[in-house]
Amino acid sequence: MNDLLAAIFSTGFFVTIVRTTTPLLFATLGGLISDLAGALNVALEGMMLIAALTAVVVSVYAPWYVAVLAAVAMAALFGALMAFFHLRLKADIILVGFAVNFLAAGGTVFALSIATGGDKGTSSNLASKAVPAIDLSFLDGIPLVGHVLSGLLSGHSLLSWLALLTVFGLWYFLYHMPQGIWLRSVGEYPAAPEAAGIPVNRIRVWALVASGVLSGLAGAQLAMFNYVGFTRDMTNGRGFIALGAVLLGARHPLGALFAALLFGMFEALSVVLPSIFTWIPSEIVVSIPFAVTIVALLLFSYRAMKARQMLGGA
Amino acid sequence: MSAPATDKWKTVRAETARLLTAVVIALLVALAVIMLTSKTPVDTFRTLLTGPLTSKRTLGLWVDEAAKLTVTGLAFSLVFQARQFAMGVQGQVYVGGLAATLVALSPVGTTVLGMPLAVLAAMAAGAVYGFIPGYAKAKLGANEIVSSLMLNYIAVYFITFVVRVPLSAGPGLMQSADFPPASMFAVLVPKTRIDLGLVLALVAIALVWFALYRTSWGLKLRLVGHNARFAEYAGIKATFIMVSAMTASGALGGLLGSMYVQGQTFGRLTYGFEGGLAFEGILIAIVAKSRPLAVPIVAICYGYLLQGAEIMGIRTDVPTEVIAVVRALIILLVASSFKLGLGSMLKKLVSGGAKTGEANAAEAGR
Repeated sequence: MNDLLAAIFSTGFFVTIVRTTTPLLFATLGGLISDLAGALNVALEGMMLIAALTAVVVSVYAPWYVAVLAAVAMAALFGALMAFFHLRLKADIILVGFAVNFLAAGGTVFALSIATGGDKGTSSNLASKAVPAIDLSFLDGIPLVGHVLSGLLSGHSLLSWLALLTVFGLWYFLYHMPQGIWLRSVGEYPAAPEAAGIPVNRIRVWALVASGVLSGLAGAQLAMFNYVGFTRDMTNGRGFIALGAVLLGARHPLGALFAALLFGMFEALSVVLPSIFTWIPSEIVVSIPFAVTIVALLLFSYRAMKARQMLGGA
Repeated sequence: MSAPATDKWKTVRAETARLLTAVVIALLVALAVIMLTSKTPVDTFRTLLTGPLTSKRTLGLWVDEAAKLTVTGLAFSLVFQARQFAMGVQGQVYVGGLAATLVALSPVGTTVLGMPLAVLAAMAAGAVYGFIPGYAKAKLGANEIVSSLMLNYIAVYFITFVVRVPLSAGPGLMQSADFPPASMFAVLVPKTRIDLGLVLALVAIALVWFALYRTSWGLKLRLVGHNARFAEYAGIKATFIMVSAMTASGALGGLLGSMYVQGQTFGRLTYGFEGGLAFEGILIAIVAKSRPLAVPIVAICYGYLLQGAEIMGIRTDVPTEVIAVVRALIILLVASSFKLGLGSMLKKLVSGGAKTGEANAAEAGR
């Protein structure tokens, strides 16, 4: 038990949490933006997976930032594809989303086998690159708190800092910029912005593309920092957990941050647990994030229902 | 709803033509991918299209696959008709398989009651697993997509643990002990995998059709799916219908689990026995328009394609996974309102070329 506490209260654990949270946070923000525009994007999982493979394959031949951009572009392309089928051809967004997930699950294995020359499991024979970590060890120089500060803040992926920035950027966009307010109105009651002459459909398209961009960053972090390389189904449900985090975060960017942190923390716990409690079966440890998501979703829904009842009763 | 018979056939014909176009487009894209990646594209494509017919064994695999696809297609059809996007069939298959295993490996498993009791246990376990997201949605408004997907992951990991540790047949074996013959499905066609599961699938089709179209529960379910608010005004308890549809669908998922573990394919609980087949029910249900009588037809055709892809993966240099392109395109095209007919498509291209893309987008927005 003391080992566990020691592990949890170490700065290393905080760094692990940031690492596990980053892809979840990007995906959650991606889910949030399309959900606010009125389309539940169940394809976060698939887009992340496609982006992860793209990032790995491109990084073999190009610098890391080109790989990240390629991953983002690829996922954005799939966002546009979803928009085309959902808005232009009137297909149900959930079915479109699952079609993308199926394409991603099979397509990445197929593409991986082509890229590696036959390996359907991992990209281990490809020399892929990583996203650089930001070194802030100069903070050590600050008296008293310097050591702790550098322990907490140094060594995170560049994308982790970008994710944090995105939370506040998205918050500003959604609540302080006209386009953001349009976007929320499109999801809330499309007839009103339509009547006001706001291009409802164009906003929906951009929301899905933005959702792709953010899932792309999630996939890049996953395959270029958390683990350098691609493995079959490496997203392992994170896109669906992110979908839960959107709901749990009360459809607000700051809520998304806290929800992603909560799930990221439990994922981090499942990373450190096996080394401390070797007797816990690994299958139980890896299902912790899924169990936590479902419990959190139920508790949150219960609370939201109570709140609605209170409003109704008043 | 009560359109004249001629109109009905007209729609059926139009829908079938649309579907065939979708399949042809999807296969052409697959052909293009094969041309680009295979050293022997002609042989590869031929294997994909004719593979299942090569031997009695592969024919049997096809029939077995079609029976299983039918059951998952029915499970998804039930919830889709109620307009619920419950995605939990995979989890139900695994808990159903576990429940059947517990009965089959218990003392009861060697008696005459072993086989039917194991099936019932599987269905009950699947029903409970389907009930949870249904109840959470009806009582708390918890999104059923997220909760059912989470339950899938939990079930998959839990069964992996079960076959690795408590029920493992031996060190390093990711499977349970073999079932006693009394708990297994009887073989229908010798030297193939065709077994009693096929009969159970046929019974399931009849039951689901009867429940949906010949009972008041089915009428209410379809009304709720059509317009939940209208159904509420008409005095139908939409939440009850929702939960019961998801529970019944769960029972079908559990049945599929028992078909796996008790069938000739395995006859034991093994790691990852479902192999991702449960999710194929989404495609089946969409293409069959959630109609129980159309489900087996779609399952037979799609099962053929899946088996062809499987054989292609074994015999040629193109991996089975190329079929993902076909799967995604069929779903996208069938779920959308893409227009049929090369003539009208050409006309649209010609006239659409003059317009700007924005004008087209605005048009689509109307």
